[in-house]
Amino acid sequence: MFNDKWLLYSLSCFFWWGIFGFLSKLGATRLSPEQMQVLFTFGTLPPVLAAWFHGGAKVDRDLTGMVYGGLMGLLGGLGEVAYFRALEVGNASLVGPVTSLFPALTVVLAVVFLKERTNWRQGIGILLALVSIFILSL
Amino acid sequence: MFGWIFYSLIAAFLWGIVGVLQKLGANRISEASLLVWLMAGLALILPWLLMTAELNTADTSGVIIGLLGGVTNGLGVWSLLAAFKNGAKASLAVPLTALNPLFTILLAILILGEKLTTLQWLGVTMALLSGVLIASETKST
Repeated sequence: MFNDKWLLYSLSCFFWWGIFGFLSKLGATRLSPEQMQVLFTFGTLPPVLAAWFHGGAKVDRDLTGMVYGGLMGLLGGLGEVAYFRALEVGNASLVGPVTSLFPALTVVLAVVFLKERTNWRQGIGILLALVSIFILSL
Repeated sequence: MFGWIFYSLIAAFLWGIVGVLQKLGANRISEASLLVWLMAGLALILPWLLMTAELNTADTSGVIIGLLGGVTNGLGVWSLLAAFKNGAKASLAVPLTALNPLFTILLAILILGEKLTTLQWLGVTMALLSGVLIASETKST
């Protein structure tokens, strides 16, 4: 079954991110979102640096690319603070699925600003995302 | 006081923009380089967080959990990069990893004793299905 290494690594990603969601809930009940984000940043650094070294430790220095990457970290970090705040007051089994709807907005923004086209599956996915948010907000 | 759904949607909104930035950034630099600059951006908000976080008031178990949360997130990122390096098709790997809240739900129910109503189960199922459908970007451009 696991002859394909990519499948093993994808399942590993599924596993680690699933554990991350659970630990986030455990942490959010003990610490403030700001405290969680500081610790989360320090915890993320070693494996990300290890992955970078493993991949040859190269850094591209295209200024625009650097700005995009920096903004990703900045907005991503603020998003994580909001995520930890949501977990402070809500169930992990609800916050996890709702926050994982973020690709719906990415697709919409990519259509509006990057003139990308969506396929029919993505269209249905966006519709389902909106309906699920409505249902879960009841 | 806002509820969990408000903060969840704020997080999803900001991460949605991050997704667009990733598309733009990946056209200019490698994914690994993007990750390095992402960490630099993450470090930019550290001074503000350190001023407001009052880490000295954090209990030890919370500190360990917070750090482990970061480690597991980093390992997830590493695994995804390794999957792509080993020939994973985005159309298969991304929807598969997008299902990760399923594992969180399982742990939250089994260990934390969280319970969902029938209506919430319906919403969660639709959200997960939506994530898989949206991640199927095979012919999107």
